[in-house]
Amino acid sequence: MKEIIRITIGLTVTCLVAALLMGSVFIVTDKAKKHNEHVNVQRAMLGLLGYTKGHPAPSDLRLYTIYRYIIEDGAIRTLGYMLPVVRGEQGGYQLVVIDLDGQFVNRFKLNITPEKVSEASERASALKVVLKPPKIFVYSDSTIVAKLGKKRLAYLLPGKFPGFKTFIDVMLAIDPSFKIIGLEIMEQEEDPGLGAEINQDYFKNQFKGKSFEKIKKINVTKEPLPEEYKKYLETKKGKEFPLPKGVVDTIRSKYQDKDIYALTGATISSQAVTNGVKNMIRKFAYRINRLDSVISRQHIPVAF
Amino acid sequence: MPATTKTNFQLVSNGILNDNPIFRLALSMCPAVGISTTVMNGIMLGIAVLFVQVFSSCTIALIKDYIHPRIRIPTYTLTIATWVTVIDLVLAAYMPAAYKEMGIFVKLIVAFAIITMRLEVFACKNSVPSSFWDGIGMGLGFMAGMVVIGFVRELLGMGTILGHDVLGFRPLLFFVLPAAGFFCVGIMMAMFNYMELVYNRKKRAKER
Repeated sequence: MKEIIRITIGLTVTCLVAALLMGSVFIVTDKAKKHNEHVNVQRAMLGLLGYTKGHPAPSDLRLYTIYRYIIEDGAIRTLGYMLPVVRGEQGGYQLVVIDLDGQFVNRFKLNITPEKVSEASERASALKVVLKPPKIFVYSDSTIVAKLGKKRLAYLLPGKFPGFKTFIDVMLAIDPSFKIIGLEIMEQEEDPGLGAEINQDYFKNQFKGKSFEKIKKINVTKEPLPEEYKKYLETKKGKEFPLPKGVVDTIRSKYQDKDIYALTGATISSQAVTNGVKNMIRKFAYRINRLDSVISRQHIPVAF
Repeated sequence: MPATTKTNFQLVSNGILNDNPIFRLALSMCPAVGISTTVMNGIMLGIAVLFVQVFSSCTIALIKDYIHPRIRIPTYTLTIATWVTVIDLVLAAYMPAAYKEMGIFVKLIVAFAIITMRLEVFACKNSVPSSFWDGIGMGLGFMAGMVVIGFVRELLGMGTILGHDVLGFRPLLFFVLPAAGFFCVGIMMAMFNYMELVYNRKKRAKER
């Protein structure tokens, strides 16, 4: 009996000490970690739009974030879009509620500043003011609209879908006609050497330039990646340009409408990314078209 | 096993040669086979294991007198898990560049047999400095093994070394796949054993 009690106490104390240690490290590092993630996302977004350190973004580039919420009022389900609107100097946010058929339901002014809007808790408290219980709202996803001057440059879609092992976190950039500008893998835990190769340029860049028509029915092919295409896909990162200009154009047009070449030994990961991207774009195109028609019919002064 | 009498240098070289985790102890074969597809992966996982091994060994050597023998294995696991979490969080917070490369490797380590085994066999019976050096030796030995396997597999599978194209073609794609890892490890283990055999024979011949 004495033995059991000693073992129990010993284990409990060990667990508590370990938990305490991990917890305190988490508290200390959390802020820096969040900051790093934020910087990372920002850099990835600008990188996808083609802006790097050597080629910085122009000053009139603006990124606006749309937050989508699912609102449930008893059995009725509606969608709430938090849209950045033009309001005075600062700009503000409005909540536009749309039903599942794409019909406008209601809109509310939200009391939240653009600085605070990236915090999930701040958004929730601002939404609680207009969406009184028994209405429940759940955050669904967000979209970033990049605007250069007066016209929309691109949509940036953060997304998450299951890969071979765990979830794959991606950021996708598409232009207003839903053509892919670029794909960036933000986080993945696929097998190093196999599935983790989705992070390589020769895989990611295959998505570049695929049109909306192609993406709707894109597939994965198990054929080996042609050497010239691989070279083309990898040229962007190097400083030197081993392929002459004319060749680049012919290769691009030759493989433009081809399927995605699967990674060797990682067909499932390749398939997961391809299907994930396909679904993201299809859903987004459907949603943004509905949202845009509501915006123009209701004359909402959106910022993007 | 009583407390070790080896010098620090012997402890380190013991980890790399006599008790090499992969080739001699045949521990942690899962990662050795699964991840050693390139030299870079081997180095990264080696660094991660080195740090976790050293930290865990020192911790256990420090608190060995307070651990109830019945719960030593859970304690080891908790220690390793704690260190893995701490290293993961610290890397993510203060070294984002390193984290981007090493993040997935660090998270893999919790279940590594080699670390638990070293805690059980060595750290819980020896002083902190000896455990430190033993941890270094084991970490380096693991890294050396991973790099050697990675070298063979990368060269034969992809024709590259550290991502640089050396052969210009891919001789045997099969070597990138997990099954080939077993062949590589097996053949190298045989080589190690053969070397030991020859060494011992020569030693005996000398003594006679």
